[in-house]
Amino acid sequence: MAWVTWRQHRAQLVAASGLLLALALAALGTRLPIQAAFRRDSLAACLPPTARSGCDIIVPHFEGQFHGLVTAVRGLAVLPVLAGLFVGAPLLARELEQGTVGFAWTQGVTRRRWLLSKTALIATATAVAGAVASVLVMWWRSPFDTLEGRMGPSSFDVEGLVVPAYALFALALGVLAGLVFRRTVAAMTSTLVAFVATRFLVLEFVRPHFLAPLHRTVVATDSGRQVAGWVLSDNLVDAGGRQITAGREDLAVLHAQQAGIDPHTYIVTLGWKRLVSYQPAGRFWTFQLLEAGLFVGLAALVIVAAVWLVRRRPT
Amino acid sequence: MSPSPPPLVTRSLGKRFRREWGLRDLTLTIPRGAIVGLAGPNGAGKSTLLALATGLLAPTEGAISLLGRDPLRDPGVLSEVGYVAQGAPLYRSFSIADTIEFARRTNAHWDDESVVELLTRIDPRTKVGSLSEGERARLALGLVLGKRPQLVLLDEPFANIDPLAGRELLQLLMDGVAETGATVVIASHVVADIERVCDHIVLLGEGSVRLEGNVEELLEAHRLMTGPRRPLGAIRGVREIVRERHSGRQLTLLAVVDGPIVDPSWTVERISLEELLLAYMVPERMPAPRRPDEVPLRWHG
Amino acid sequence: MTLLERYDPAVIQFHLDPSSGVATYLQIVQQVKEALRLGTIDVGDQLPTVREVVADLAINPNTVAKAYRDLEREGLVVARQGRGTFIASTLAPASLRHHEELRAELERWIVSALAAGLDEESVRALISATLRESLARSAA
Repeated sequence: MAWVTWRQHRAQLVAASGLLLALALAALGTRLPIQAAFRRDSLAACLPPTARSGCDIIVPHFEGQFHGLVTAVRGLAVLPVLAGLFVGAPLLARELEQGTVGFAWTQGVTRRRWLLSKTALIATATAVAGAVASVLVMWWRSPFDTLEGRMGPSSFDVEGLVVPAYALFALALGVLAGLVFRRTVAAMTSTLVAFVATRFLVLEFVRPHFLAPLHRTVVATDSGRQVAGWVLSDNLVDAGGRQITAGREDLAVLHAQQAGIDPHTYIVTLGWKRLVSYQPAGRFWTFQLLEAGLFVGLAALVIVAAVWLVRRRPT
Repeated sequence: MSPSPPPLVTRSLGKRFRREWGLRDLTLTIPRGAIVGLAGPNGAGKSTLLALATGLLAPTEGAISLLGRDPLRDPGVLSEVGYVAQGAPLYRSFSIADTIEFARRTNAHWDDESVVELLTRIDPRTKVGSLSEGERARLALGLVLGKRPQLVLLDEPFANIDPLAGRELLQLLMDGVAETGATVVIASHVVADIERVCDHIVLLGEGSVRLEGNVEELLEAHRLMTGPRRPLGAIRGVREIVRERHSGRQLTLLAVVDGPIVDPSWTVERISLEELLLAYMVPERMPAPRRPDEVPLRWHG
Repeated sequence: MTLLERYDPAVIQFHLDPSSGVATYLQIVQQVKEALRLGTIDVGDQLPTVREVVADLAINPNTVAKAYRDLEREGLVVARQGRGTFIASTLAPASLRHHEELRAELERWIVSALAAGLDEESVRALISATLRESLARSAA
């Protein structure tokens, strides 16, 4: 099956390699000015926990300079789903659509073995590709990561172990969708929907709770980054620790305006503080491991379902 | 020592698609070493039966066994079976050499002999997508024979190919069968294509078996009888009347006979396979008797 | 080489008339006997193998096997294991002697039938029907 898989998917392999190569070259090319700016502005001195004066101007300036590129790199979060759309979905859907299963599944290799062998080989290649993309992004983003941390979703989702894990999950979804819908377009659409929905659900409801978040109380008027990590919530609380509703806050601001006092100062005198709940940056690799494990586990379940289905109800 | 199992057996086999039954309560046994014509109009269930036989479809009810094994749960049996689906689907972006390599690597016992001859005719680097229908059908058949199968299943192999290519295909198939003694099932809605080679016939109509048996025996057992119209009682020599038609003063019967028809008022003729199948397939249609001024055959003694 | 080019034409090449109403295996038997009568094949000659015949005519191998078995039963051919089927004896010489006489007589009859106004189709039909009836009568 190794030769068969290679022969059927060599075009995809070449395309993926080309894409990664283009990414690598782009990363190389764009990294040089970033490195130069970092050194020129002596941003090394602004790395937490040190914070010399002027950092709160220099750092945003530096980040603003490369804002466009950083946003573009964030867009690489779309890479893993490509494995599902262009490799996973057509795998079974195209064969079923064009009837070539009548040829492929009536030779000496059983359907189950055919699917398992193909998927295993392609999954390995996908994981490697995902890992390469992840390493590229981590290398490129290292100056930004050191400055602002990487626990936030815009960096967490494109670095580390989760990238190959997402790709494997997308691949598995595509394979199952192809078997269920038997049409390439329907398979691609459903893969996209299922992938995005799962990622969203995990990001909103699961990842914040991998470990219990930490809390820190800070002075209400302090601005800038207060914690190193992924901020989950940042709310005003009163002296007793109760969260201030928007209505209560509006009332206080109105009071202050009527009294002619600066609203921020007034809030401080009320004894109100900001309660920040967050996941600290130090948990990055733990969370990466947990989320990657979750998605790889899901991918395995999906593949098991596909293999079971291909045996019970082939076409 | 147990005898080797029959190539294909079904027992009350049924397959439903959404609300319609493609096959219903189908029970038949294909004899070993026979060349079986699976006849019937489009939609009769021929392709469905072959897809069930190769494990590409799961039965809704009943059972099917291929060389004694369940093709759905024990698909390893397919290494002994050659199958060409309708239209001879192959990977269009593969070259001929790639396709042969695919078959070589996915089959345990492979014999290059049947494909070597194919390769000498066309450049093996040709993409399958650029082959004609006839060439693709030949390639697909060559790949099947290369597996040295015990059973060969062909779904409408002659559809969309010209008569010369069809004849070559049949030559290739018969040569392969002569060599290996394989059992063959050819599904075709055109009886003339398979009449030449079949010694056993299975006629399907709307998902069930209309007629089945050895071709020679069936042709021997049926006669077309023409005579003046009369009320019918038992006729000596006739076991069963399959169809009857009245036209003006004449009565035509298709009958199963078990002895000579001695009544001289009947003109008795043999019937061709195609006419026989049509009679069993279409209830309203009666085979046409020969013109009365042609020399009649009187069956005596 | 094509399938056909691989095989030698051998001493006899069969042809099939699917519309003649005569069973295929009988046609093969008749063609062998005819060749014997005409002297185109002789004792010791090898008949085409079953594979050669089906690759040429695209017919069921069982049909050819049956024809050869019938010929063997009549003593005209003998099957040698692994080597092929060979002519064992010719037909009775008497049939060859009468051949020329019968052919001449038939030709005379055909001429008179044509002169009587029968066309080719009617002549054929008359010959076929009379032959069938004679055979049936002689078998009864």
